[in-house]
Amino acid sequence: MYFLFYFLLSGVYLGALYSMIALGIVIIYKSTKVFNFAQGHLLMVAVLLGATLSQTFGIIIGMVLTVAATALIALLLERLTLRPLIGQPLIAALLMTIALGYLIEGGSLMVWGEGLYRYPELFPTEPFSIGSIAIEQGVVWAFVVVAVGFAVFVLFYQKAVLGKAMRATAEDHQVSQSMGIRVTHIFSISWVIAAVLAFVASIFLGSFSGGHYLNSHLGLKAIPAVLVGGLDSIRGAIVGGFIVGLLESLVTGYMSGELGEVVPFIVLLIVLMIKPYGLFGLVRIERI
Amino acid sequence: MARPAGIFDIRYEQDIAVVRTMPQWITLGLFLIFLVVLPQLFPDRYFLNIINIIMIMIISVHGLNILTGFAGQISAGHAAFMGVGAYACASFMTFWGLSFWLSLPLAGLTAGLVGILFGLPSLRLKGFYLAMATIAAQFIITAFFLHFKPEIFGGGTGMSLEPIRLGNIVFDTQDNLYYMIMPFAVIMTYFAQNLVRSRMGRAFVAIRDNDLAAEIMGISLFGYKLRAFFIGCFFAGISGCLYIAFMRTIRPDQFSLMDSIWMLGIIIIGGMGSIFGGILGTIFIKLLDEIVLVLTPFLGSVLPRELASRISASMALVVFGLVVVLFLILEPRGLAHQWEILKGRFRHWPFTYGH
Repeated sequence: MYFLFYFLLSGVYLGALYSMIALGIVIIYKSTKVFNFAQGHLLMVAVLLGATLSQTFGIIIGMVLTVAATALIALLLERLTLRPLIGQPLIAALLMTIALGYLIEGGSLMVWGEGLYRYPELFPTEPFSIGSIAIEQGVVWAFVVVAVGFAVFVLFYQKAVLGKAMRATAEDHQVSQSMGIRVTHIFSISWVIAAVLAFVASIFLGSFSGGHYLNSHLGLKAIPAVLVGGLDSIRGAIVGGFIVGLLESLVTGYMSGELGEVVPFIVLLIVLMIKPYGLFGLVRIERI
Repeated sequence: MARPAGIFDIRYEQDIAVVRTMPQWITLGLFLIFLVVLPQLFPDRYFLNIINIIMIMIISVHGLNILTGFAGQISAGHAAFMGVGAYACASFMTFWGLSFWLSLPLAGLTAGLVGILFGLPSLRLKGFYLAMATIAAQFIITAFFLHFKPEIFGGGTGMSLEPIRLGNIVFDTQDNLYYMIMPFAVIMTYFAQNLVRSRMGRAFVAIRDNDLAAEIMGISLFGYKLRAFFIGCFFAGISGCLYIAFMRTIRPDQFSLMDSIWMLGIIIIGGMGSIFGGILGTIFIKLLDEIVLVLTPFLGSVLPRELASRISASMALVVFGLVVVLFLILEPRGLAHQWEILKGRFRHWPFTYGH
């Protein structure tokens, strides 16, 4: 019983991380129709930046600089490499973000090397305790942040003018452009939002496991999370993230770690066979 | 297809011929002779080793090009299908005692059938969703070889084979292996080039360009998508089988997601939907690989130690990423398109117009 609870807890933590990565991917996909494979790499850079910058400038200034630098990287990626690809076939954008991922990974390997970087301790080390069970504060905060983030984004997309403009852009680029929406601005804004989300995820990842260039591989595991939920659904990203995180943690705990890595992909295949657009994805009707 | 002035097709056989004119026949003949004497021309065995790997890769890349470049079904798991071919070949030979020459087509078939299995979602899935389903295939297949029945597939240590024999010939030197691999590369290239201009190849292109329109024109989407998966993975299987004959040992980590992505990168760099482009792209990437390998020790001797070790660890990643990014932005139609431009220049010389 104790083990089950422990696995569930680590599943919730993993799920929250996956949800944050998946949310970034979904927000970019919704408005630009680009699947950002480099989201995990943005997260990895954010952790490494946070670890080194907060060491030199102190925690608060370091964090501010980190979020600014991550957003700047995302902005540059969008402007310099993905904007020229508008109108190119799907595989071009797909390979572009994968290649960007490799570039970022190689670049941070060059700058930071293979070492593990210590992240500043942002959460109190004293765990919450319910009876005999201790819950680390970071896990609780991760869950709270995802819940709040979900509410904020739902409200943002339904009420805010910018959110409505982003939804319109997701629907049809040309029509929204002729309605006076700067589509290119929307693209940039989506990437910046995704970068900020990567930064938020980096706080939790950094506090738990420190900064390392292999952190980017979390982004790979967020892929099933995004697709199980549906590529263009905020709700789907959250639900998918928790499904994948809990599954991975439970299978790793009760069966084997290697199986835990594969099970999300098996679930993904099964879900796609039954519901090709994911659990909450928008089913598009095609016309010639 | 562009032809020199004064060359007319007056019979149907001429119209459908692959090689049309005398100069083309001569070039082809010279090229084949060049391929046959190549080991004698270059005495360096390391160079021949690279050529062999390139030839094996070319077969696999043709498969991916047919599947992704022609039929438009993005596959991010091609290396895994190559692995299926390699493991199938090794299993047939080790456990069933079949000869290599029988295992080779069987391994191709096995890879093709596994390809059909993972291609099944392609009827309902498109674009990104399909690409992700193939990534899932990549992970599932490599995990299968890593963890399923270690007494058969050898787990992390993989499987190994004795050198392949044909009569008294043992294929254990680079020279002998070259003469075994080269004919397959030539035959498979010919097969691929012929396939893509057949009825099936045109159906693939129609599906790539607009699948709904293709279906309305009477192309069975399900049938042709599965055929594309079968053929693409058949090529991968043959290539994987030759790969194990060449390497003699295989491990699951030799068929990773990174390798699948490299192959996608190769067809982008070479030119999607061009068999010749696939060959160019493979040679380009493999040579780039070698340049990185040569450059790394050089950097180590010039730069300070700490910096050099970091750069050597990250160089392959950065170079590959950069090359793909630059090609996607500057020449999305790949090297094959540049080659066409070059040919056009010569054809129209001294005029600058033309294409």
